[in-house]
This record gives sequence, C-alpha cells and structure tokens, in this order.
Amino acid sequence: MPDRKKLTVSYAPFWHDGSSISTKQYHIIAATMLAVIAGLLRYGAPALGVLSLSVGSAMVWEYLMNLATRRPVSIADGNAALIGLLFGMLLPAVTPWWVVIVGTLVAVVIGKQIYGGIGGNPFNPVAVAYAILMISWPIYLDFNAALVNYSFDFPAAYPLVLMNAYGAGGIEAFSLTDFLMGRQTGGIGATFGLGLIVGGIYLMARGFIRWEIAVSFLAGIFVSALCFNLYDPEAFASPGVHLLTGFSLIGAFFLATEDSSSPVNFIPMLIYGALGGVLTVLIRNQGAHVDGVIYAILIINLINPIIDKIRPKATGRVMYHA
Amino acid sequence: MREMVKMVIVLVVLSSLSGGLLAGLKNKYQERIDNQILTFVKGPAIHSILKDASNDPVADRFSLSINDAEKVFFVGIIDGVPRAVAFEAFGGGYGGDLGVMVAVDVQTDEIINISVTTHNETPGIGSAVETDTDFKNQFAGKKAVGDFKVKNDGGEITAMSGATVTSKAVCSAVQRAGDMYQQVKSQIKDQVKNFTG
Amino acid sequence: MAKTIGQEFVKGLWEEIPPFRLVLGLCPTLAVTKSVENGIGMGLATTFVLVCANILVSLLSGVIPSKIRIACFIIIIATFVTVVELMMQAYAYQLFQNLGIFIPLIVVNCIVLGRSEAFASKNKVVPSFADGLGIGIGFTISLTVISAVRESLGTGKIMGNQLFGSSFEPFSFMVEAPGAFICLGLLLCVMNMVSSK
Repeated sequence: MPDRKKLTVSYAPFWHDGSSISTKQYHIIAATMLAVIAGLLRYGAPALGVLSLSVGSAMVWEYLMNLATRRPVSIADGNAALIGLLFGMLLPAVTPWWVVIVGTLVAVVIGKQIYGGIGGNPFNPVAVAYAILMISWPIYLDFNAALVNYSFDFPAAYPLVLMNAYGAGGIEAFSLTDFLMGRQTGGIGATFGLGLIVGGIYLMARGFIRWEIAVSFLAGIFVSALCFNLYDPEAFASPGVHLLTGFSLIGAFFLATEDSSSPVNFIPMLIYGALGGVLTVLIRNQGAHVDGVIYAILIINLINPIIDKIRPKATGRVMYHA
Repeated sequence: MREMVKMVIVLVVLSSLSGGLLAGLKNKYQERIDNQILTFVKGPAIHSILKDASNDPVADRFSLSINDAEKVFFVGIIDGVPRAVAFEAFGGGYGGDLGVMVAVDVQTDEIINISVTTHNETPGIGSAVETDTDFKNQFAGKKAVGDFKVKNDGGEITAMSGATVTSKAVCSAVQRAGDMYQQVKSQIKDQVKNFTG
Repeated sequence: MAKTIGQEFVKGLWEEIPPFRLVLGLCPTLAVTKSVENGIGMGLATTFVLVCANILVSLLSGVIPSKIRIACFIIIIATFVTVVELMMQAYAYQLFQNLGIFIPLIVVNCIVLGRSEAFASKNKVVPSFADGLGIGIGFTISLTVISAVRESLGTGKIMGNQLFGSSFEPFSFMVEAPGAFICLGLLLCVMNMVSSK
C-alpha cells in the first residue's frame, strides 16, 4: 500500500492547521487580550465602553449586511468581532460613540462585506476604516487632544507627535522600557508593547499568523529607521523607538497579517512585510502624517496581488497548447 | 479619389462653420464675459492684495497702452495717498497662460503682493497656486523691477513642491509685470495723481 | 425593436441611465459631484451638448463619410461644448469657476460621443432628440443623486442649507476624491439590489 498522503497533489500554497475559521479568529482575539487588559487598566471605563461598542456594533453591521445580501448569517465565525476589537484597540479611549459606530460600519460593510465577506477583501478592513476616519475626523483620533483629561505618571504627549515635531530629542523623557510596558499614550490596545509581542509570538508559534510577514515588517521598520538614525541621530529617533511606538507592533502582528489581503508565498511575504515596515518609517520620518502604519498597510495591501505572482518555478517544461 | 475629396470638403465645411459660429458668439459675449471676469476673478484678486486700500480699486482704474496693447491699472488709495497700482501679467504655465495680478507701491517700487487670477494648471498640483500664500508671500516686499527665478534656475524663489512649472510661470509673469512697470512708470505716476482719497 | 419616441426618452431615465447602467462619463461624475449645485450644472451642460450633438449628427449622418465620422462628431460636440462654456462664462460665472476644466472635458465624455456613434448616426432626428434628452436628464438625475449623498454626508448641507442640525459632524471623507468612488460604487450596488428583486 503506497503512502497515499504523499501522492496528494495540490494547487496553490495552503495554510491550514486543521482548525476552522472561528478557531483562528478566537485565538487571535485571545492573543490580543494582554494588550487589551493593559489598556483597560490604564484608561478605565471609557476604554471598556469604546471596545464593547466597537465589537458589538461590528457584529450588528455584519448581521445587517448578511440580511441585506441574503447570505448565511456569519457573525458566529468571530471575524466581525475581531475586526471590531482590532479597530477599537486603535482608538483613543474617549472616542465619541458615533465615531466608533461609523468606523465599524466602514470596516465591516465597505472594508469586507462589499467584497463578498470574509476572504474577499483586498484591504485590511480595520486599516480602511481607520484611514477613512482619519481623513474625516482627525480631531477625534488625535491622541493628544482626546486624552487631555487623563493624568498619567508619564509624559502625556503622543510620542510620535513629539518625534515628528522635535526629532529624536522630543522623546528623551521616555525609555524603551516605558514603551514596552505601555507607559505611553496611544490607542487603547496599541501601547502595551510587551503584551502585543507575547500575543504575536503565540500566534506565530501556533501558525495562526505568518511569522514571515510580522518579522519582516518589524525588520523593515528596524533597518530603515536605523538608516535614518545613522544619517542624523538628532533628527531621527532610534529604531527601537520606532518599533515600540504608534501602531508598529499591532500593525505588524495583527493588521498586516490579515489573511485575504496578504500574500501566501514565502518570498512575497518577506517583500510585503519589509516594504510595509520601510514605508511606515518613510511616512513617519519624511511625510506629514504622524503615524505611517495604517497607510503603509493599505499600500502593501494594494501591491499584494502583484508581488504574490513571485512564486517558485515549476520544474520541467511547460507545454503550451496552441 | 472622389471619396477623398468628399472627406476633405465635409471636414473643412464643418470646421469652418463651427469656427465661424464660435467666433461670432465670442465676439457677441466678449464684453459680458469681461465684466464677469472683472467681478468674479480680478475683483477678488485685487481686493485680496490691496487689503489696506480705502477705496474700491476695481472702480478706480485707468488704462495705458503698452506695446500697442491696452492694459488696465487698478489704483489703491492707502493712508489717503493713491500709492498702489495693481495690474495683470501673464506667464506660460503647464496648461496655457497663467494670469498674475501684481500690486506695486508706486513710491517705493516694491511689490505689495501678488495673486493668481486665471490658470489651467493641473488640479491638485499646480492649482495649489491659488491658495499657497507662503509661496506668493515670497514676492511681497521685493523690488518690482528685478530678477524673479525659482531656486533651480539660480533665483531665490522657493518653488511649490511638485509644481515647478507653475512656480516658474508665476515668476515669469511677475518678471513681465516688472518690465511693463519699468516701461510706463512715469505715466503711471502721472495717472495715479488723478485719484484722490 | 422599433421603440416609440416615448420609450427612447424613458430608457435614459432607468434602463440605460448613465453612469449607473451606461458606465460612461465617469470623469465628471467623480470630479464635480462635491455639491448638488455643481452636479446639476454639469448635468444640464452635458444634456445641452447631448441633445444638440444628437440632433446635428442625425441630420448630417447622410453627409458625413463613415471614415471620418468620429472626427466630425468631435468637431460638432466640441463646438457645442465651447458654446456652453461661453454661455456659462457670460451668465453663470461662478458655476464656471466651480466646474473649471471639467466643462471643456465634456468633449471627451464618452456618453456624448457614444450616443452620437451608437444612436444618432443611425436614427432619425426625432428619436435622436428624445434619446439625447432622456440620457441627458438621466445623467443629470444621477449626478444630482450622487452629489446630494456626498454633499449631505460630507458637509452636512444641501445647497447651503444645514440638514442635520448643529451637532452633526461632517463626514468629510465623502467630499474627498476616494469618497466619490465609494459613493458611486455603493449607489451602483443599491441600484443592482433594487432591480434584481
């Protein structure tokens, strides 16, 4: 009896560990918990409100879209909840309720359901929603303005704004440990670097996200930030700072790795991630925007179908039938 | 051969009919259009660069002929003295002529400010010239008769990012305005005296 | 096959309504629909050009040699577009300023050329007139709808009237360029959902 398994021939690369869609979503949600809990402890009840509203409204929009398009109800697969959760993690703790609801509407409807639901979206729904909100209501997503009524035991200015305005000198008050332990302002679930890293490593180890993308994304940030830093240490912050501030970590582990908008082959995944990291630093250091992660992810989403064509050559000769 | 001739005739007849119709219409409406431009384009441009004028510069105007062309000058009365004139000059931009209204202080020969009147620049890139005050403020305070060039050409004007052609067009328009001013300076000074606050 | 004049007119209002069904003429659709006023102005200008060009093309269809028909159509269309431009300058200058470069660009609007080529050159004057008017009004309606959605959500106003009260915070993404694409896409989607029932 030959080994049947060896003879199974398949198309296209697969990424499957035997678990279902919902298992994967729930594991990712679980992996965010450390960062989320840290955010809740830091920002208290308003943060809980924003997160619950975000998750809840995302699921409601998903359900309504299922009804409108007369497709099977898919809120049980956890994807809508994950979108809502990730979106909420990017927001300041005191985001007005209607901004949250419009954001999840954009994420679930325009970001995902319009393209036919899970697996069909060319862009990361969370990044789409956040970018659109940033264009529309920049004031509510400005961490300095939003968190003005909080008092912290660390400088309350958003590190990236300081970096943008004063160069590397602007963030001298922070140490890398501060960033790692979440002693910085920012999105509800985006500040506790250690939590995000632990969650990310768990997901990578279990194979729920591709380590190639996350690692090359961070490597891209590190290398390009290092280049800037070596060129002018006064004006440009060190790579470690870039890795641990803003949305770098949540972007690398949770946004860039989203399934349908990222490549599936090995080399494309590396290019995709590294390009995202480089773009992030370019936008931060050279562009007018404070954080580049969201736009960088949208741009790499855009080139995903093209770079995914880089794939191993088949051995043997290809026959063309005239 | 016959088909060829027919094609030529049809095209020629059509084009000339079209051209004739449009020329006629343009002639008929030219005056009206000029009036409209005066109220909606030049008016705001003049008012924006002669903010301090106590009179209405659009109403107080005179014309001089420069190189056989009529040129309209708008007079601004500042601090009771008719000391500012505004007039329009053109430079070749990315999408045809670009009009710049230049206000000059007659007493010091310095540019008070400039403003863009008409342009066909690329929307979103060159068209920023309408609103980019940092760019336009570079001209204020400079001698009207001088060299206006962008930095790439060895001048001292910082071009708008991504819109070098448009920036050069503005420079050449201001340059021409300076040349015209030089040419008719004495006549301008005579004329301006007729306007009193 | 033969439709009545009424049917030729009505088909432009739903069955072949541009740009939803006849996905042509997207440039003005996306670019000028920031406000209802611009949308209606653009729609009416296009309607005028469509009707006149359709009539003239169907009148001349026997004369125009088929090899150079596109060139002839373009001359006819460009003539009427310039007429519209001149008229707008003379009587509605502010609308002209708002629409700017997109008025001359009606020449290359595929709806106009498309109707000349596909309909007017093969049909008699009266059906061509009805077709042009129907498609034109359909286009006006679509532009009005798109611009109403964009303006109301993006600025909270319609024709300068506040819509939702003072606590409304405009969703300014809608009046940006990407908002136009998303708005058009969503309206197309709604329309398909409605008609597929």
